[in-house]
Amino acid sequence: MLYAFLCYNNEQRVMSWTKAEDDAVMAKLDVVHQRLAKEGRFGPALRLVASTAATTLVKEKDLVLDGPYAETKEALLGFYVIDCDSREHALSIARELGEANPGGAYEIRAVRLFVPGVQLTEEQIADVEAVGA
Amino acid sequence: MLYAFLCYHDEDAMLAWSAEEGAAVMAGLGRVCDRLGEEGRMGPSLSLMPTTAATTLIKGKDLVLDGPYAETKEALLGFYVIDCDSLEHALAVARELGEANACGAYEIRPVRLFEPGVALDVKDRV
Repeated sequence: MLYAFLCYNNEQRVMSWTKAEDDAVMAKLDVVHQRLAKEGRFGPALRLVASTAATTLVKEKDLVLDGPYAETKEALLGFYVIDCDSREHALSIARELGEANPGGAYEIRAVRLFVPGVQLTEEQIADVEAVGA
Repeated sequence: MLYAFLCYHDEDAMLAWSAEEGAAVMAGLGRVCDRLGEEGRMGPSLSLMPTTAATTLIKGKDLVLDGPYAETKEALLGFYVIDCDSLEHALAVARELGEANACGAYEIRPVRLFEPGVALDVKDRV
């Protein structure tokens, strides 16, 4: 069963990491990511730009607001889609990811419908917001 | 540039839809998503089970809680990843999706890093 792992973390802290600190966390996470990929479980994952770059459209009023929909103590900074055998398995993967990237929380949500979409080109994938800009 | 569209909806209203109402919304969304697919812009998207099925792990304390991380007026019930030319373009796409599914809000977030992952076997998951 597919699970979405929603990653909440202290935004100020994560955004204040030096490149070396960020690279170190990503390298540790990558060990877990690579193993999950070998197991055929690792679906799309992404990191979001800080919630200060969020724009919210309230649909019925066509109201455009700067900022995220909900102000939370820790911000939604990314998510994973991972194929897990059970909720317990999902929790054990969340703990592994948490060892690589301590702090914050993972919200684990069962997926109801997954649509892979088209294969995005390398160019499209590379065209993301410059980190630390 | 890739944008994540986080979909917030009134969960009770959505769960109360009849099968016909749900199918009509999905058909309308499908038309927009198909066109975005033809344009090569449509990345992965998903809809989540209700927040009552959520589990939250607080990492530092290894605390496992039933329910979502944040209780919000409307719940995060899905997201899209779409390649848009600009924030204005992303807003135009959000308005189109909103015509097909009129309630709630879209939070539009630029993506910093995207990992496509492996091809998942999703045939039996719908």
